[in-house]
Amino acid sequence: MMSNQLSELDTFRREVRDFLESAATDEIREAGRKTTSVFAPFKQAMAWQKILYNKGWVAPAWPVEYGGTGWTIHQRYIFVEECNRLELPPVLPQNIQMVGPAVIGFGSEEQKAKYLPGMLSGDDFWCQGYSEPGAGSDLASLKCRADSDGDDYILNGSKTWTTYGHHANKMFALVRTSSEGKPQQGISFLLLDMNTPGIEVHPIIGLDGEPEQCEVFFTDARVPKANRIGEENKGWSVAKYVLEFERGGSTFGAWLTPAFERLRARCQQSNESSVRLIDDVSIARKLAKLEVDISAVEHTEKRVNANLKHGENPGPMASLLKILGSEVMQQYSELQLEISGVDALAQQHSALHVGSGIAAMGSEADMLAMPYYLNTRAASIYAGSNEVQRSLLAKAVMGV
Amino acid sequence: MFYQYSEDQNAFRDSLRRFVQDHYDYETRRQRVEKSEVFNTGYWRQLAELGVLGLPFSEADGGLDLDFPYLMAVAEEIGRGLVLEPVLPVTVAGRLLAASNNDDAKSHLAALISGESLVSLAWEESSSRGNPLLTQCTLITRADGYVLNGKKQAVLAAAESQFYIVSTRDSGGDLQLLLLNAKHSGITQRCYLLADGNSAADLEFNNVELPASAIIASASQAEALLQTAISESIVVMAAEAIGAIDQLLVITQEYLLTRKQFGMPLAMFQSLQHRFADMVIVAEKLRSLLWAACQQLGSNNQEKSAAQLKVQLGESARYVGQQAVQLHGGIGMTDELNVGAYFKRLTVMELLCGQQDYHLGKLAELELVS
Repeated sequence: MMSNQLSELDTFRREVRDFLESAATDEIREAGRKTTSVFAPFKQAMAWQKILYNKGWVAPAWPVEYGGTGWTIHQRYIFVEECNRLELPPVLPQNIQMVGPAVIGFGSEEQKAKYLPGMLSGDDFWCQGYSEPGAGSDLASLKCRADSDGDDYILNGSKTWTTYGHHANKMFALVRTSSEGKPQQGISFLLLDMNTPGIEVHPIIGLDGEPEQCEVFFTDARVPKANRIGEENKGWSVAKYVLEFERGGSTFGAWLTPAFERLRARCQQSNESSVRLIDDVSIARKLAKLEVDISAVEHTEKRVNANLKHGENPGPMASLLKILGSEVMQQYSELQLEISGVDALAQQHSALHVGSGIAAMGSEADMLAMPYYLNTRAASIYAGSNEVQRSLLAKAVMGV
Repeated sequence: MFYQYSEDQNAFRDSLRRFVQDHYDYETRRQRVEKSEVFNTGYWRQLAELGVLGLPFSEADGGLDLDFPYLMAVAEEIGRGLVLEPVLPVTVAGRLLAASNNDDAKSHLAALISGESLVSLAWEESSSRGNPLLTQCTLITRADGYVLNGKKQAVLAAAESQFYIVSTRDSGGDLQLLLLNAKHSGITQRCYLLADGNSAADLEFNNVELPASAIIASASQAEALLQTAISESIVVMAAEAIGAIDQLLVITQEYLLTRKQFGMPLAMFQSLQHRFADMVIVAEKLRSLLWAACQQLGSNNQEKSAAQLKVQLGESARYVGQQAVQLHGGIGMTDELNVGAYFKRLTVMELLCGQQDYHLGKLAELELVS
């Protein structure tokens, strides 16, 4: 990068930081600090989305005509870095990173006009209906049926791992509209209202004792065919496009860098016995190695994105970015837990809740280390398990 | 050298396994943790009746005078069934009392063995990071006794215990081990559940006034007793980890054989077969070092082999726990299935009694002088 470009980016960073600092309320900041997975506490995440929406910054990666910012990858990275430096809650990815790009890429003009504004503003919250009890890694084997009935589909079946399904008023779902041909060929991409009769939502309690995922059951739920995105039986290519788009635009590095700096700062502080953890060479070396890995994530993300033409998908590199980012995130969670040590052991459910007014027993960072570690195990499972990603990557790179 | 249980030890283990199976179905355990009812006095009495609380104590002290592997066998079953009652920390603390040769201390053993009272060993501190000789607790001499100040962290079973053994430094810098009544004035308990549902507390000592008789061991004797207790803690913890890991392997194997994706059982995928093989390898490494460390208890090599064992526990507990969750996918991330509970238990074991790095550092120092 040239130096005048750098100073422009510095100016941009300053502008972003000034806005974020003035706009984030204490409650939003508390929610950001207490985010122990990729999904921030719902209420505050939506409040923060509204603030960013009003500023016009809620969907940086969207095309400008639909509400995007027109920022370069470097600017987008800076934006995410600055959000994370202030430990703000990330905007929930479902509206902006998952369903939005599908509607922009494959929806009719009418559908775009109908759905995009609510996704941006957060007046709607969309949950994802992809996985099923019998269709996880092998997503194409999904069975949730959408039978044709005049202008409607009748839905029967179930979905699972639907994050925040109990908060959502809308769902984007992959459903089976045909059992002919290869499993991928009979899938359609459908938008639906969660208040449709025949839909039931059951929250699932996670390892950290909190409900984040849900099961969703459909019994003769009637959905208009007009809610389909793209052609009938062509939903798989919509989902694939969105997944690659989502992974390709990954900013794991922008999240990890400020988090790493906080971790290092903790190690530089003296504890009760006037000892600094950073003076322990084994910890210093682990920090150093983690910093190398984070740097590799950041520059791989930037390099892949910088070499893409607008609207182009990164293809198999999307799998690489997902594997790399999720696994370095897990390494970070491990080192954070090791650094907290016995201080991370106590369960503190009440203190973890935003607005509880209950203080952490020790430091907030120590309280968060264990739930964060446990929840981050999901990073190598969700959005296509890393085993599936490795198969995709190997097949593409080896040409087999 | 022996690497397996004797017939009698196996028979004892089987009887305990039945007890655990009858009392510890996963759903009941899950609800007990949810309601924070993790200590069941009825179970504790039954465990005492089964002899579980008196295995490694002399007959003179009221125990059964059985070899250490009996306690390891108990630990394995506790790990396999995710038992919440604190048999292991209480037994190890009791053995410290027995080894102290202090009559006051030993007078409590009969009640421990019969299940009427419990004792906790309080040595971990936030800043000690696994080193039992580093303590910020202070003991000041007064004309009529001593005054204790300081804090202890993650004291296992402290909420249920009537007595605490507390490590501290005196004004001369010597390590002292004290025996305190849990109700003694000036002690504050902050009780909580660990991430795995087990009971623990942080203790704070605020000008706790003590008579000279509270000291049960001093200086080099105190250090030796404490190091032995920690070596024994590591051995029983590793046995518990083996029980948990063996069960996790059974559960995961069953899942891989039944769960079908892409038209076949997951067990048919070579990448997952290799993963499972690696889980078995780290489990067997831990089992070998467990028996090796068990044989060194009481010898000059005790501390070194316990440190090696804890290093291996760090690797094995983490790898098997993480991969069992990974191989289960989303369902492994829920509270509904016991896989997550095993993973959490194994993670807590990684952090207690000194992490891998601490023990590696200790072993590295030994390399320098050997």
